[in-house]
Amino acid sequence: MSAGDSNPAATPTPCEDIQGDGRWMSLHNRFVSDSKDKEPDVLFVGDSLVQLMHQFGVWRELFSPLHALNFGIGGDATQHVLWRLSNGELDNISPKVVVLWVGTNNHGHSAEQICGGLLAIVQVVKNKLPNARILVLGILPRGKLPNPLRERNTQVNHLVAEAVSSLPHASFFSVDPGFVHCNGSISHQDMYDYLHLTPQAYQAVCQPLHAHLKSMLDKPAEI
Amino acid sequence: MSSDEPSPAALPEPVEDVHGDGRWMSQHTRFVQECKDAEPDVLFVGDSMIQLMRHHDIWRDLFSPLHALNFGIGGDTTCNVLWRLQNGELDNIKPKVVVLWVGTNNHQHSAEQVAEGVLAVARLLTSRLPRAKVIIMGLLPRGERPNPLREKNAAVNALLRARLPRPGPVLLLDAGAGLLAPDGSLSQRDMFDYLHLTAAGYAAVSKPLSDLLLQILEETPEEKRAPPVWAPPPPPGASLTAGAEEEECRRAHCVVVKLAWNLNDVLCFSPMSAVVPYAEQCESDG
Repeated sequence: MSAGDSNPAATPTPCEDIQGDGRWMSLHNRFVSDSKDKEPDVLFVGDSLVQLMHQFGVWRELFSPLHALNFGIGGDATQHVLWRLSNGELDNISPKVVVLWVGTNNHGHSAEQICGGLLAIVQVVKNKLPNARILVLGILPRGKLPNPLRERNTQVNHLVAEAVSSLPHASFFSVDPGFVHCNGSISHQDMYDYLHLTPQAYQAVCQPLHAHLKSMLDKPAEI
Repeated sequence: MSSDEPSPAALPEPVEDVHGDGRWMSQHTRFVQECKDAEPDVLFVGDSMIQLMRHHDIWRDLFSPLHALNFGIGGDTTCNVLWRLQNGELDNIKPKVVVLWVGTNNHQHSAEQVAEGVLAVARLLTSRLPRAKVIIMGLLPRGERPNPLREKNAAVNALLRARLPRPGPVLLLDAGAGLLAPDGSLSQRDMFDYLHLTAAGYAAVSKPLSDLLLQILEETPEEKRAPPVWAPPPPPGASLTAGAEEEECRRAHCVVVKLAWNLNDVLCFSPMSAVVPYAEQCESDG
């Protein structure tokens, strides 16, 4: 299904340098350069939830030992990640697993469109890295109390989980340890701004993810 | 004060909930609640530069022991910080020092307007907390290589340096020079996205701040001083550095801090060294 033109979330789009310091392109260029120099077994790609993982001890403890690279950029939506992966960030590397975590910043897009964007990314990864497996992480709830974005993110996760279940090279993995409490609230001890994770929340997310990645890396891919 | 219209960066404004999850207001409400319960000696307020400090070792090691509160919100402009401080985030607390770090997100405003916005926040703080000192953190360079936003942030810092009353309770601490390589580039080791600091970047910037805070907190609180006289904005076309040169240390990696209560001594901080008197540190300068 080609939805590229009619789905903005699935149309590769670079980030425009509105502010004037070219930081997004600087980061993209650095990632392209990393791809030339490094040989990761695991590639993490996505938005700030990926990017900030790299800033805390959890990265060094759990993912550096797996020979992982981090291509996260804060603020990115699916169409930005799609552009980056189509423009050099997957060249010259052959990771065994690509971890994809993006979608919460797709403001104005419907759950269906965001799902389409994620599937478009899965397709690009499959085209460029035919031997890699793709792990699509569920997008987390956000906001202190129930709100429309929580519903949207939950719906995206349902749609994506169903869509990749028939794909041999991709799978869906939920990393939500239960951030939403019984009264519907999210604690600032887990998400200090009700979106981004504290170091303790990253531990809760990354321990199971690390275990799952290890099991994927230890097992050869099923044909 | 200038009789012109106030700078748009000095007009209080909450952040509109465009995404639909009300996160900004949730954070503000939480900070107002914290004011009811806590008795901080130091209040940190500003944008993500303040907010992200909270999650690195420097907070636990250097600032938490000072009984500090962190009221940083990522993306905030001077307008947003002004609104928050006017709407509950200063109620019931009497910190001895406020650390203010804001201005880099004021994309709609000129350097002149941003400086006036930062000064408006400082004025609000000194009027609500007459016995407190305020440390304004200079805006850091941003972007991998020289670009217009670097010039703008440097211009804001120069304007602040020129307009802060001397002597006065408001100080400027500029820790940015030490982050630039000789070729003018910023390293991802200090700023992972050429804007936000890594743990290493925070460690470098926090040392002079921590030294200054300790010095202030050791001072006796009984201090009578005349109310600050705020310098008016210079007329259009005037030199940005007028009046600032005598205070400025041109040695690389230096930050200049003016301690108003210490006989007008000017202390020179290098991010890596201890505090030494100006004459000793900089006598080799031309």
